[in-house]
Amino acid sequence: MVNEEALAWVIRTRDPGFDDWEAFTIWLEGDPARGQAYDALMAQDAELDAIIPADPVTLPLPANDIAPPRRLVWRWAAGGAIAAALVATVSIGTMNRADIYRVATRPGETRHIALDDGTTIDLNGDTRLRLDRNDARFAALDRGEAAFTVRHDASDPFRVSVGDAVFEDAGTIFNIVHTDKATRIGVSEGKVIYNPQAEAIALPAGRALADDAEGLRVMDVAPAAVASWREGRLVYNNAPIRDIGQDIGRSLGIRVTTTASAQAMRFTGTIELDKNPARFFSGAAPLMGLSAVPKDGGWMLTPASSKEGNAPQD
Amino acid sequence: MATGLSAIFMTHRAALLRFLRARGAGDDAEDLLQDMWMKLEAKDLGPVADPLPYLYRMANNLMLDRYRSSTRRERREQDWAGGAGGVMADPSDDVPVDDRLILNQQLDEARSILRALGPRVELVFRRFRIEGVGQKVIAEELGVSLTTVEKDLQKAYRAMIALKQKLDTE
Repeated sequence: MVNEEALAWVIRTRDPGFDDWEAFTIWLEGDPARGQAYDALMAQDAELDAIIPADPVTLPLPANDIAPPRRLVWRWAAGGAIAAALVATVSIGTMNRADIYRVATRPGETRHIALDDGTTIDLNGDTRLRLDRNDARFAALDRGEAAFTVRHDASDPFRVSVGDAVFEDAGTIFNIVHTDKATRIGVSEGKVIYNPQAEAIALPAGRALADDAEGLRVMDVAPAAVASWREGRLVYNNAPIRDIGQDIGRSLGIRVTTTASAQAMRFTGTIELDKNPARFFSGAAPLMGLSAVPKDGGWMLTPASSKEGNAPQD
Repeated sequence: MATGLSAIFMTHRAALLRFLRARGAGDDAEDLLQDMWMKLEAKDLGPVADPLPYLYRMANNLMLDRYRSSTRRERREQDWAGGAGGVMADPSDDVPVDDRLILNQQLDEARSILRALGPRVELVFRRFRIEGVGQKVIAEELGVSLTTVEKDLQKAYRAMIALKQKLDTE
């Protein structure tokens, strides 16, 4: 049983913009039990952190794209749309033909590829890419992370196939991460079209798209943050620690795990990469409010302190 | 010293004291107020956008801390009596594999409960509870009324707290 009135006050006072403390005082004065109910609910609320899945939250599209209500419908219809996209992908024909060749990097290794058409691709660690000898305007990212700097040709767009999805450039620098559970793309210059044959979502510079267990979402991203790993930096804006852990693992060639409570955390800022994991974590972990400990030949990220921030929120 | 904040503290001292008493501080209300004053004097907080709500929030957090440490002490005593040892396991420490499995199951359960509430409720809850975005902003983002956001939040909170209570009794 939840005390509805107390719950309403928990929600109200948790709002960063809450300022009606006098009304709250008056409600509390009505009955000493109210304060106790409020305390109990606030404590339970604090403990929710451990069980709320820390998945990214969608920022709404600007009004000139798609109206917000429609967006939500679209987002949750995405499952069907992905199935439709699959048909479109197959038509591109990424079967194991003789002219298809593979490029791969080991964990921690990076590689720079220049295609005949002037397009360049930077592969981050633990990445597998398929290219076509007869078609310099095609790439398939099977896993890992790659940054594409595409020479634009409107009559012959560059296409990247990622799992069931296709990204088509419109004069672009973009970065794609592909794991078995998720696909993330960030656009730093120009524009990318997601699944031109199906949803045809335009992603201009500063926009990112994620497709994972939570469905398909469009978010904002700092253009400078896209593919920053090429400069030995990882740049984040409110990114889940879980994703960051994966990025670090891929970039440094180490196994990184995160505890459940660390997964619930987020980080905004820039991390300088360092091939020496101990040295890297000694600087980077405290920056993220984490501590890193060697574990089973890899590294485990845990919150630096179990203490919750008690300072008032600004 | 944060002069501006201290001045506002002095002006609203009585109201803050009344709040602490209403919050259940009892005889400790004066002491808590003194703690707040010391903290304000010790820390140079710089300019604070809304000083009075900030002070109230600080007082509220003090009370939440008090509640938390008292329940933690109770639990510790219970564990002690139950022979579990005097040291409380820190939830953020390295969790054994079994516990991690359970945690993952709990995450999945929470996820499906949120899902079942519908996309808008889930989105509103995430924005509010994880991202810390205010209800007014969320309402503007989604193009819905503030009341809708409030109702969505209550629905999500009710479900999540019910789950929390269920998990605690399991």
